[in-house]
Amino acid sequence: MMSETDRQAKFNGLAEAYGADLYRYAMWICGNDALAKDLVQETYLRAWKALDKLNDIKAAKSWLITILRREFARTFERKVPSFTDVENVVVREEQELEPEDRMEIKLLRQGILTLPPKYREPLLMQVVLGYSCEEISVALGISKSAVMTQLFRAREQLKSRLQKDGVTGNVHEIF
Amino acid sequence: MSMKFSEFKRLLGAEPRSRDPKFLRARQSSPEFEAAAAMAEHFEARLEQSLMIPAPDGLAETLQSISQTAAVDSEHRRWWPLALAASVLIAVGAAGLTWNMNRGWDSVEEYVMDHYRHDGSRVMAMAGADKADDVQSILSELNVQAIPALAGIIGVIKYCPTPDGKGAHMILNTETGPVTVIYMPETQVTDRETLAFDDVRALLVALPRGSAAIIGPDQKLVSSLHGFIQQSIVPLAGKS
Repeated sequence: MMSETDRQAKFNGLAEAYGADLYRYAMWICGNDALAKDLVQETYLRAWKALDKLNDIKAAKSWLITILRREFARTFERKVPSFTDVENVVVREEQELEPEDRMEIKLLRQGILTLPPKYREPLLMQVVLGYSCEEISVALGISKSAVMTQLFRAREQLKSRLQKDGVTGNVHEIF
Repeated sequence: MSMKFSEFKRLLGAEPRSRDPKFLRARQSSPEFEAAAAMAEHFEARLEQSLMIPAPDGLAETLQSISQTAAVDSEHRRWWPLALAASVLIAVGAAGLTWNMNRGWDSVEEYVMDHYRHDGSRVMAMAGADKADDVQSILSELNVQAIPALAGIIGVIKYCPTPDGKGAHMILNTETGPVTVIYMPETQVTDRETLAFDDVRALLVALPRGSAAIIGPDQKLVSSLHGFIQQSIVPLAGKS
């Protein structure tokens, strides 16, 4: 049994290490800033209550994601929120990009939001959370081969969208 | 055996930054493979840029404060049976007096929890479907007024103690059910700080004059009222 000080320190470490990633993940699955914040807060509240069950700190990130996904499913099992906020995100550094690059990012964001969840989620896990295909396979309960197919298709759809919208860039010709 | 280009493209699309030795060897096996990898890397950088939206400032601190609130809550719960027994004894002949005289809250968070536990449910039960008559007269004594949209949904309002003097305890009849709002005219709070205790969630709101705590059954509901409350309790002219 952890002392209260150790418990608090462990929890603070989790908030520091994974809070931002969880927020991004939540934002991309629910598309709304206020809901994403609520989801992350609820996740951490549940994590605090169940902290003694987390024996392996290396598993903390996937443990938190599992809680968040469950909470998302529970909260939105009846109602799927409309995506609004992500498209409006303007990152300060992006102001310095060329207009064509900014357009490409905007189109990519729109494309990500319109990806079917079965493609979007593995992509988020890989890019936002840094998961390997094996880790995604465990998190989603599907085979590694299925994960790879979904990731491939997710990228294909995004590239097609960019081409369709006339963003030529220099990355799509080969696909 | 060397990897076919079609297989390489599939791997590139699935895991472009794979460290698998077979994949890395294939990557350097011909100019065609190298060019494909370079293009995939460019796309990946753009994808990462698109997905890595900024997290809100102070997120980690907010999350850490949730644990502190929950810790206070669990401490309260641990002592609850004793506290209840003690309060029953004190309550004989002195109902409410002990709590009303208590000015020993260490923080606004502790005050909100203490206050709500004291009479949150009782005041909630007092609220009818009709709007309360005395909204503006009570609030004007606290040097504020409610805009009509708020005044029209206040089902009950009463004076209450706050950490810094007299305030108001209200029940709002929202479309999704009753919500408690405690107005604290002289108390400053960290805007949007959240609390979780018992089976309720609370959100602190900084107002043009003083602050408020919104308390309801879930975070989504109380969060959705933040802007409305912030804009609806306004200082009386010359009293900001």
